[in-house]
Amino acid sequence: MFKRLIAERTGKSPWLFHINAGSCNGCDIELVSVLTPRYDAERLGFKLAGSPRHADIVVVTGPVTKQSLPRVLRAISQVPEPRCIVTMGSCPQSGNVFRGSYSIAGPLSKYVPVDVDVAGCAPKPEAIIDGLTLAAKILKEKRGRMN
Amino acid sequence: MDFPFMKEAISQLFSKSSCAMYPAVPSQAAPGYRGRIEYHPELCISCGMCERVCSGNAITRSVENLEDGRDKITLTFNLGSCTFCATCADFCTKHAIEFTGDYHMVATKEEDLLVSGSFIKAAPKKKAPAAAKTEGCQTPAGKESGVKPRDDGKPVNDPARCVYCTLCAKKCPAQALTVDRAAKTWTLDEDKCVSCGTCAQVCPKNCIIM
Repeated sequence: MFKRLIAERTGKSPWLFHINAGSCNGCDIELVSVLTPRYDAERLGFKLAGSPRHADIVVVTGPVTKQSLPRVLRAISQVPEPRCIVTMGSCPQSGNVFRGSYSIAGPLSKYVPVDVDVAGCAPKPEAIIDGLTLAAKILKEKRGRMN
Repeated sequence: MDFPFMKEAISQLFSKSSCAMYPAVPSQAAPGYRGRIEYHPELCISCGMCERVCSGNAITRSVENLEDGRDKITLTFNLGSCTFCATCADFCTKHAIEFTGDYHMVATKEEDLLVSGSFIKAAPKKKAPAAAKTEGCQTPAGKESGVKPRDDGKPVNDPARCVYCTLCAKKCPAQALTVDRAAKTWTLDEDKCVSCGTCAQVCPKNCIIM
């Protein structure tokens, strides 16, 4: 019973954890703009969590540099299952303009299963909201499978 | 006790929200927004400039030889690698690449999560333009080239392979080249030419022989 209650309640409000894996700050700013009053993703229940242990959705920005890779993986491993990994912008998907650089370890999908990709450089806040709602839907499915 | 903003606080409770109610209220991208790429294969001449200037290596071109001797050229734009800088569209002399205001670029690969998550817009297949022109292109390619290099070290153009993209004329430091796309002419001003070889270097079709 408790499990069902938790699933219902947490499904309505997935918490985000944002990892900057060497991003240029463009996507980070856009994510912040989504969470602040102009686009107010908190209307839809998305809330920025301070700790990966509290999060349901992990949003990764940046091309995953060699320096950040162990930290990214460590942070993601601390997020409890079911979790949903969202890559934001072109960088974590392919490396974008940094592709082939000596300091890039990406793409992220080489290391962890990525659920949602939001393309754009940087993506428009509306596109991020689309991606997050899709991630919430996937999260719900995952939680349903676990229970 | 005095509550200075009580009146405003209560009036705000009943006023309209000031945030963009996005999923409920659809929103349009601002004019000039560079979103999803639209590729017009019927305009493309396959000069390869877009591929060359792309900073994110988002454009791949594949050429498939058909049985009847024609080439099927496919351009694929990987939006997951694109910076949306529109340099490809700027360099495209035929305006075959267009950036639309569509920003809904969200993808999932649930069935295969470990595959690189790129949003691939499969470019429409483009058949090689006219049969007559293609045949002309293929004959010299097989025989090395139909044009002989000049003795004085100045460039010669192979009209059979040239697509008249005007890039050589743009890059010529001495403005010795005039290329007319409409008339399909390539003319060299021998007095101005300094035999630097820039035209041959930049030619995407490698049809300028030094």
